[in-house]
Amino acid sequence: MTSSATADGGQDLAEQMNDAVREKFVMGGFLGEGTYAMVHKAHYRHDPSQVFAVKKIKLNAEYHNGIAPDAIREMQFLSELTHPNILKLIDVFSSKDQNLSFVLELAPRGDLEKLWKNKDITYTAADIKAWTNMLCQGIWFCHENFVLHRDIKGSNALIAADGTIKLADFGLARRFADPGTRMTTQMITRMYRPLELLYGCSHYGGTADMWSIGVVMAELVKRDWYLGSETDIQQVSVICEKFGTPTEETWPGVSALPYYVAPEKQNNMVGTTANRIARPRSWWRQEFMLLGDDGAEFIKGLLTLDPQKRFNSRRALEDKYWTNMPRPTKKENLPKEGGGEKAVGDDLKRKGGETPTNGRADKVARKLDFGAM
Amino acid sequence: MQLTEDDLYRSSTQFRKWSFTAQQLHAQRQKTNLSATERVKANVARVRAQRAQQAADSDSISSGVDNCSGASTPNVVTSAVEVNCLTAEEELKIVNDFCERAIALGTHNNFPSPVVPTCIQYMRRFYLYNSPMTYHVNIILRTIMYLATKVELCTVGHINVGPFAEGAGRNVTTESILAPEYVIMQGLRYNLDVRHPFRGVKAGNMEMLEILHGKYQGPSQGLKAAEVQAQMLQIPMKVNGPAMKMPANKVEERIHQAYSTATQTLRNVAVLTDAYFLYTPSQIWLAAHLLADEPLTLFYLNLKVPPSHPTYPKLLTTLRNCATLISSHRLYVYNTLPQAEKDAREAIHQAEVKKLVQKLKNCRDPDKVDLVKLNQAQKRDAVEGGALEESKAKRRKVARETYENEADAFWGPELANKAE
Repeated sequence: MTSSATADGGQDLAEQMNDAVREKFVMGGFLGEGTYAMVHKAHYRHDPSQVFAVKKIKLNAEYHNGIAPDAIREMQFLSELTHPNILKLIDVFSSKDQNLSFVLELAPRGDLEKLWKNKDITYTAADIKAWTNMLCQGIWFCHENFVLHRDIKGSNALIAADGTIKLADFGLARRFADPGTRMTTQMITRMYRPLELLYGCSHYGGTADMWSIGVVMAELVKRDWYLGSETDIQQVSVICEKFGTPTEETWPGVSALPYYVAPEKQNNMVGTTANRIARPRSWWRQEFMLLGDDGAEFIKGLLTLDPQKRFNSRRALEDKYWTNMPRPTKKENLPKEGGGEKAVGDDLKRKGGETPTNGRADKVARKLDFGAM
Repeated sequence: MQLTEDDLYRSSTQFRKWSFTAQQLHAQRQKTNLSATERVKANVARVRAQRAQQAADSDSISSGVDNCSGASTPNVVTSAVEVNCLTAEEELKIVNDFCERAIALGTHNNFPSPVVPTCIQYMRRFYLYNSPMTYHVNIILRTIMYLATKVELCTVGHINVGPFAEGAGRNVTTESILAPEYVIMQGLRYNLDVRHPFRGVKAGNMEMLEILHGKYQGPSQGLKAAEVQAQMLQIPMKVNGPAMKMPANKVEERIHQAYSTATQTLRNVAVLTDAYFLYTPSQIWLAAHLLADEPLTLFYLNLKVPPSHPTYPKLLTTLRNCATLISSHRLYVYNTLPQAEKDAREAIHQAEVKKLVQKLKNCRDPDKVDLVKLNQAQKRDAVEGGALEESKAKRRKVARETYENEADAFWGPELANKAE
């Protein structure tokens, strides 16, 4: 019979504050589960019309160092970043069994990857312009706050009920390093990783994220993976085949990077025909015909090999591409993920509450489980 | 589309959740102290009553088995005197002392630069809503230091708790490092980002060098880069001192000197004060720089905001107040004292702290002494609590599944999950 400290109900101030936060929300239906977290729907106790996603971080039995770094980064950075194109972290609380729960904005319309994969949806160059623009605004705000995202990809660009793109998953984010600090290059999902990281350059900046946005944009155009490969080495050759191998002329300083291989030394590399000069403008226009001439120029600015010459987020937002015709599609007119009758039905069934065109409270009430927690 | 630094700072949790007026800060500390004092007294009384009861119940058992809080039960429980709790001021002195120990610990372990200042701010934030009587500073400091290394260095790779515990002292187990993590997270209100003045002071230093080299491009009250440069070469050495021409290399030395002094002040003194609660990072670095070289700092400031500007007096007053806060810290004052005097004062200070730490031993919350056990108990309770509710939960689950099945029957089976 131990004297139970928890039984006397005496809580210190911090515990009381934590419980006050937790009490603000009523947990609802189950939305999904990954290896890392379990997602439930929730709403405010005082206002059931405001719905959220609650991501409960699972205890990782393999990780013996307490709270995991990705949870720490997500907490650290998302709490600081309030912007329409960044998924908002509303609150954090921990439950009695000491699991962290993140209360996040609900983005019920899937993500950009699901969107291009769904062949039932058609979309236009103006839609791509609108999506890319929202991505650029979100990442611009991160960079203005000196935060690198380092994992931009289609599946991390979520779509809110009103069609707004929300940049999510800051589990790999970090602050801009002080000059001279080395950063790890094993960041960013390989397909979206820029060449400087693949070459082992441990000093990189916001333009690394911009490359990833370029790849996402290209995927939207092609409706397919754009720069896929199986290994880091393959990824280098995929990029070089596409855009030409950089040289000291096109990218001053590149030859000093640890894993750089000059074109003239590549002869014995299997499957590499990368000894190419940079692509001419006509190639870009051909490759991204859907985007029009200024759109092709724009994506060229993102997919520039030399990170110094690549667009940074501010430069990207100043581009004439946004103001030229066609204008980016207004949010409310954007196609949304979940197209196709069955899929829409399925989507409504599970997440009906936040679809503006479709009543609200009735479906929420039907699916929310007020008893949970 | 331009965001000012102020806009950015105002959206930070440091500003939204952790900035206070001096009065608010004082009031919060009083409140925390009061609530902890009540709990300590109540819990001590309860434990004493329990022991008395046990003693009465089991006279036959010779050696009283202490099953309350383990071997480290403070003697406060066995004694009969009224518990003498710490005051809010005394608590703060103890916390301050452990913040100084954090600097020593960081130096000893060679932690890279932002770890220790972040650790100290976590300490100060944590003990704004918690009392050392509830959670002992010694235990909390270790975990907070570990947390700070994870936050500031997790990009470098995994920070393993094993070696950290080994380096943290004898008898420090990994469990004892990890057990208070959630308590601390709650106390920090899950705000992990700390805005330091170090980057600001570096940027100011770089900008001053740009001015000196005639390459300045910032606001200059209509002056050309060359004119600003010429003015810089004539900054007086002392406040109100005569303007005198200095060679550029001397001025460069001066700029570096001011930077290095200011950085030392920030690292070793400003972090130990309430400056982060009361002022913004730019106010803090400018105040430290002001202490290091007032004429140079004022010259720089006047370039950005002319003295004729309506907010200038307020700005300068704020900076001076911040500078006073920093310069009245014991360690800053020591810089101005002869060694003997400094040693004498430090001896008195140490004796006082020692007494307080001793006093703390006798007013600890008996429920929170063994955080490892407490943590295990909490996890167990959560599981058992869950088990108690299991029948309830099961009923709800069945009801939910029925709903879902009905809905599925109507809408067809779910697609998304299977597509994954």
